[in-house]
Amino acid sequence: MSTHEPLVIAGRPFGSRLLTGTGKYDTFETMREALGASGSEIVTVAVRRIDLDARDDDITAFLPDDVLLLPNTSGCETADEAVRTARLARAGGLPDWVKLEVIPDPRYLLPDPVETLRAAALLVEDGFTVLPYVLPDPVLQKKLEEVGCATVMPLAAPIGSGRGLKLKDAIRIMVEQAEVPLVVDAGLGSPSHAAEAMELGADAVLVNTAIAHANDPVAMARAFRLAVEAGRAAFRAGIMDEGEEAAASSPLAGAVHEP
Amino acid sequence: MSASVLINGRDHQVIEGETVAGLLERLGLGVRFALVERNGEPVERARYEEVRLEDGDRLVVARPVAGG
Repeated sequence: MSTHEPLVIAGRPFGSRLLTGTGKYDTFETMREALGASGSEIVTVAVRRIDLDARDDDITAFLPDDVLLLPNTSGCETADEAVRTARLARAGGLPDWVKLEVIPDPRYLLPDPVETLRAAALLVEDGFTVLPYVLPDPVLQKKLEEVGCATVMPLAAPIGSGRGLKLKDAIRIMVEQAEVPLVVDAGLGSPSHAAEAMELGADAVLVNTAIAHANDPVAMARAFRLAVEAGRAAFRAGIMDEGEEAAASSPLAGAVHEP
Repeated sequence: MSASVLINGRDHQVIEGETVAGLLERLGLGVRFALVERNGEPVERARYEEVRLEDGDRLVVARPVAGG
């Protein structure tokens, strides 16, 4: 079995199935090291107005040249805001790929499915490769595929909550019927959560807070890389069926104490 | 001759006819990915050297930042 089965999004192959965010790191230096340890080839960034009074470091100076920068539309509450942000990013030289987030709810940061679908259709029409962030909804998944999205990215649990796969059954249906790569995005708190998503058959996962907020982000990035690889390998290997009763692993006959 | 423009919601005096590239340079915003919107429309990076600012222009200047 090949260990180099690539993740293919919109015809472009990627060696890593771990996408990473750049938020919440203490320093850009730590972020750079953690991104390297993660092996990630797709890295998200947000787009914000420059504060003319405070000149912070330019994050792109700390990002590896060989990763795909994936601008997100975080902060957008409507389709129109998201389209505007994506078009600004592309015009300024960022890739024409966009992680589409339309989030009107500040408490749970849950995405608006109606506006997300509307924005996705507009952006695909405008030539973007669109990776929408959604609740695990198999019906919405089909609609996003129909308008031409390159992936569908259901959340495991609310962003930054670290709670793991809370709607596993819905994600299982999405895996089963996926026609474009399914990326589990948000809410994965530990490598075991990522492995679980991959074992379920997700094509990739996107992780940010669980790495950035670890005591040692670089070591945690490596742990997530290994977990994603292990989960994918397990899925490909075929996981055994669960049983109701025990099934002995050792021979039942011929024990030493037998008469 | 100076012109008055809004940059990220604040008034700025610029030299009339100054290019987008010139403005970014003067403000020290020549970052790798300075993103510019002028009067609601994104400005293509390839045109930063040729788009000239006019009195009353509304500019948004953005860039990539850390995010998930």
